[in-house]
Amino acid sequence: MFRFDNEAIGYQGVTILNGISLDIKAGEKVALVGESGAGKSTLLMALQSRNRTNSAFIPQNPGLVRTLSVFHNIYMGSLSQHSTFYNLLNLIWPQKKEIALISPIVEKLGLIDKLFDRSGELSGGQQQRTAVCRALLQGGEAVLGDEPVSAVDNHQSRIIIQALCDSFETVVLAMHDVELALEYSTRIIGIKNAKIALDAPTNSLLRSDLDFLYTA
Amino acid sequence: MRLPTAYCAAILIFFTRLKSLSTFPTARTVSLGFVVVAVGCLVFADLSITTLDPWTEMKRMGMGFVTPNFFAVTNIGKVMIQTIAFAMCGVALGAFFGFFLAQVFHIALVRWSCAFVRAIHELFWALILLQILGLTPLTGVLAIAIPYAGICAKVYAETLEESQPAVLQVLPAGSGIVSIFFFARLPDVWVHIKNYTSYRFECGLRSSAVLGFIGLPTMGFYLETAFSEGNYSEAAALLLLFYGLIASLRFWLKPRLLGFYLVAAPFLLGEGASIRFDNVIRFFTSDIVPAPLRDHDLALTQTWSSFADWLQMLLIDQALPGIIATLLLTQIALVCTGFLTLALFPLISDKFFGKLGRTIGQLLLIVLRSTPEFILAYIFLQLWGPSMLPAIVALSLHNGAIIAHLIGRYSQSLVLRADSPKGFNLYGYEILPRVYGQFLAFLFYRWEVIMRETAILGILGIATLGFFIDSAMADIRLDRAILLILITAILNIFIDSLSRYFRSHLRLSQQIESS
Amino acid sequence: MNLLKNLLHTTILGLSLTISLGASAKDSFVFTAIPDQDESQLRERFDKVAVYLSKELGVDVEYIPVKSYAAAVTAFRNDQVQLAWFGGLSGVRARSLVDRSEAIAQGFEDPFFETYFIAHASTGLKNSVDFPREMLGKTFTFGSKGSTSGRLMPEYHIRQQFDKAPQDIFSKVGFSGNHSKTIALVQSGAYEVGAVNFQVWKKDLAAGKIDTDKVSIIWTTPSYPDYQWTIRGDVDQRWSAGFKKKVTKALLDMKDKDLLASFPRSSFIPASNSDYDTILNMAKEIKLID
Repeated sequence: MFRFDNEAIGYQGVTILNGISLDIKAGEKVALVGESGAGKSTLLMALQSRNRTNSAFIPQNPGLVRTLSVFHNIYMGSLSQHSTFYNLLNLIWPQKKEIALISPIVEKLGLIDKLFDRSGELSGGQQQRTAVCRALLQGGEAVLGDEPVSAVDNHQSRIIIQALCDSFETVVLAMHDVELALEYSTRIIGIKNAKIALDAPTNSLLRSDLDFLYTA
Repeated sequence: MRLPTAYCAAILIFFTRLKSLSTFPTARTVSLGFVVVAVGCLVFADLSITTLDPWTEMKRMGMGFVTPNFFAVTNIGKVMIQTIAFAMCGVALGAFFGFFLAQVFHIALVRWSCAFVRAIHELFWALILLQILGLTPLTGVLAIAIPYAGICAKVYAETLEESQPAVLQVLPAGSGIVSIFFFARLPDVWVHIKNYTSYRFECGLRSSAVLGFIGLPTMGFYLETAFSEGNYSEAAALLLLFYGLIASLRFWLKPRLLGFYLVAAPFLLGEGASIRFDNVIRFFTSDIVPAPLRDHDLALTQTWSSFADWLQMLLIDQALPGIIATLLLTQIALVCTGFLTLALFPLISDKFFGKLGRTIGQLLLIVLRSTPEFILAYIFLQLWGPSMLPAIVALSLHNGAIIAHLIGRYSQSLVLRADSPKGFNLYGYEILPRVYGQFLAFLFYRWEVIMRETAILGILGIATLGFFIDSAMADIRLDRAILLILITAILNIFIDSLSRYFRSHLRLSQQIESS
Repeated sequence: MNLLKNLLHTTILGLSLTISLGASAKDSFVFTAIPDQDESQLRERFDKVAVYLSKELGVDVEYIPVKSYAAAVTAFRNDQVQLAWFGGLSGVRARSLVDRSEAIAQGFEDPFFETYFIAHASTGLKNSVDFPREMLGKTFTFGSKGSTSGRLMPEYHIRQQFDKAPQDIFSKVGFSGNHSKTIALVQSGAYEVGAVNFQVWKKDLAAGKIDTDKVSIIWTTPSYPDYQWTIRGDVDQRWSAGFKKKVTKALLDMKDKDLLASFPRSSFIPASNSDYDTILNMAKEIKLID
């Protein structure tokens, strides 16, 4: 699904990660862990650019158009599935069919009463859930999420991650919450000092095995 | 004549040579350079007050302004509505076409065409269109729409270019560029475009009013009459109503009502004579062909030698003195605008004045920036007689008030330490250093605007390029007028690129409304 | 989603603009006049003339005001007006631009029109029979750039006398815009010397607008033909056979003292294109016409 072979990964001409070798197979649920600034986002973006057609992406800034409603932001996940005319029609007059399609997803994440609010006026957590909904609507083989639950509570986090794991065969999420990472992933990749410092199946790891990633 | 020619040539060479410098001078050196140039220009500028007794007339004008007569203009309501209607139609068409041009702005031809149409002032467009279409509503609408399309295209394109919304990264592959544009790009910049367009509408109102000076049925028509006949109470009433119109914009220019306005406006322009197509053809195939070439055998050397004489006469006797006067006036007005801005902006800043002082300052600035420079210059000309002085004062007051307003607002956002100094020390040590970059950026943006206005003030009798254009128009010599307008446009494009050059080298912010 | 709706509205605007402009053409007989004096007076004068002509001709007659001499000529040339009250120079220009257009009537005073050179009292210049060459080096204002009495005549005589362009004779040369303004500017001292239509001078003097302690006549030009009514050649086809004759008759028959006084003329008399040949030649001589 995603494959890197001893590659340097950078951003705007600056190399951030060195000697990355990685092979993520279909069906894996991967958690990316490491200190903030370690390069998790960079790695995710590199993954996305490898396989854009089949993967949905949830960036850390939720990537919303602030002036558009929650509904339209979510609908954007399916722009490629409709004709341009239909897209514009739905932009002016939200179509019943699309509302019917989007409502259950929104319902599950507890945003239904905000469906036609401007996304820019929502709280950080609500914006994050909107971005998750967009990815869920878009679908595909894989989802790449950059801290998709950083601004929501524990209970919501579990709902969101469960929903992502149910909808996508392959899941790669950068996470700061080690407990959640251990709970939902099948494989953990730890990043430290611009390198992959840990790459192991989750069931072989203990909580304490991850501590070294967060110490100097 | 020879001295100012040499001086202007020296200025131009100086500006052009800047490119070859290895290190670009600092903002301080550049500012000083402009001041030195302006002082040099003063030597050649005619600043005399020729009126023997300007005070009597000024007193009469002052009396008029405290006793405005709102009933003097018959149909004042209709006149105001027509002024709005022309602005509405002109700006709407300009913004509409500007929006589409912005999508293809990367094409060099489009970029150059836009630079060209906006380098020609609305009044010049109106004078040209009067010849082609005559006194019809379309003349006024297009005179605003054509240059505004060029301006809007540029600003919209820059806005779109600067916006790189994060959402672009997450859109599924194959979303289609039209869908992406309307879902992701446009909503991201919509607020900027909306704000800029409503600012353009305010400019459009000023343009619309000024077009009355050459015969369209807007407020300027009656304002010109009232001023030239010395009916200052009537003139005051018209000006006050115009300020009212602009100050109340945010109360009646509501997005919800816009649709209604746009549909109604074309029907409120008033009637005009019908447009005849043969006039349009004649304009392009005969009127603008240089007289020595018109209906003459192009195979004869005689024809071409008389054309050379014609060209020489036009370039040496008219374009050259026109360019010199335009440049002199522009450079002086630019520096005066700068000084005035620095003096005026504290008036509306909470760092310097309390609420009462700021309110008075705001009022002063609103009046100064709402009055079109053309009308300000006209008033000062009536008072002082024709020299460069009325033009310099009018241009500095109007543009100074506009920049002071922006800088004043910007200074409000500065956060100062609690024990910062007060008064002049605060101004010199804390505020000025912080706003100076912004200030220079705005000033460089206005450079080209000031130059365009300077040219236009020639219509009022100051010997800039506009004077010679107006004279050619008065003689119905459109071939001459068009060539001089072309020269004016080229000079303007030159100043515009020079200004861009300075801004980029001084790393001045680009995120500013230009106009 | 407001933005697409706004875009839609703008498109509708474009369409309705086209429609409304297409519908605005209507067939009145339209005339204009050069704006040679205070505009409110012109409007009053010509609105009355419109009523009179409408009654005499039996068609809708409309007066449209213009802001400049050139605009009057252009409107005539572009067939947006069919009749115009021109000065000598603007009439010659208009007729050279429009084939078969004709001067049909002039004021009784117009064959012997004059221009007054006027000066501010501070110059010390007095009325004289000979051309006052002492005006050399003074400031000078013409009327409109396209005026016969305020531009062509004074410039012609100045060039005859000094054999130089006005810019090389006076310390400053201006164009006041119209005759009332010329008087006001010289009276206020904004200019020391000026040239003005003698009829406007007389009218403003009678109206008490001139302070003769401040401004006075210093020289009078030889007489020349000036104002006239000019009509387009194609009016007979557009309205009815003999329409041009009817218009001419209506103008010559104008007897209402009030109407005539506002021009001010004592009556209208016949005119022809050749009456203005001297004007054409003078304009060519000082290169105002190619």
